[in-house]
Amino acid sequence: MPRNQSTALPVAYVVLRILIVLNWVYGAMLLALLSYTFVNEQWTFRALGIAAVDQSMPVVWGMRAVAALGILTVPINLAMLTRLLAMVGTVRAGNPFVAANAYRLNAIAWMLLGLQLISLVIAAIGKAISTSQHSFHLDAGFSPGGWLAVILTFVLARVFAEGTLMREDLEGTV
Amino acid sequence: MAIVVKLDELLHQRRMSLTELANQIDITLANLSILKTGKARAIRFSTLEAICSVLACQPGDLLEFQPDGG
Repeated sequence: MPRNQSTALPVAYVVLRILIVLNWVYGAMLLALLSYTFVNEQWTFRALGIAAVDQSMPVVWGMRAVAALGILTVPINLAMLTRLLAMVGTVRAGNPFVAANAYRLNAIAWMLLGLQLISLVIAAIGKAISTSQHSFHLDAGFSPGGWLAVILTFVLARVFAEGTLMREDLEGTV
Repeated sequence: MAIVVKLDELLHQRRMSLTELANQIDITLANLSILKTGKARAIRFSTLEAICSVLACQPGDLLEFQPDGG
């Protein structure tokens, strides 16, 4: 095994830990934002740049739905990051080809798929609440890179599962 | 398991210990122990050759097929 991984792995470990914390912060901020839209609706209208209340209600509810979907991604991100962290832990321990990692990778693939679907829903909401006067450009929608990552992760999970079986066979070979 | 490893019997017949065999065929005692206790998933031809060479036996003397039902 190449020894140059020895620096990459601690870095990955620290980065993943930071991302877990940032994910919590992101979730807390979204929750606070969503809550505040109910506490101070006028502020929400001003923030969105909308004056006419009659026309803006669907917009506000649309943005609330987007925020709620954003909050939904927090546990998904957390589950992904913790699994990735556990995988890094097994690599650091020198035993990454275990069945648990194949399952983790497969679960991560499903979560990535979920995130892509949520992104599509968010984009659809953005399109639905956009008008000629107010166009919402949300950073969501179909992402070729994202879908490629989903496919790649599913394939890698399968490769990992096969590799794990081969490793088990090899370990039992005398 | 359907394939039974009869290394213990062969060693007993040759009055040889597992450690002695391990030293002669250059395989770790741990791996030979795995083979002896029937926990091995597979055996390399090179291992088989080395064991047969030292114990002066045929592969059939070392391995035996026993149907599961029997």
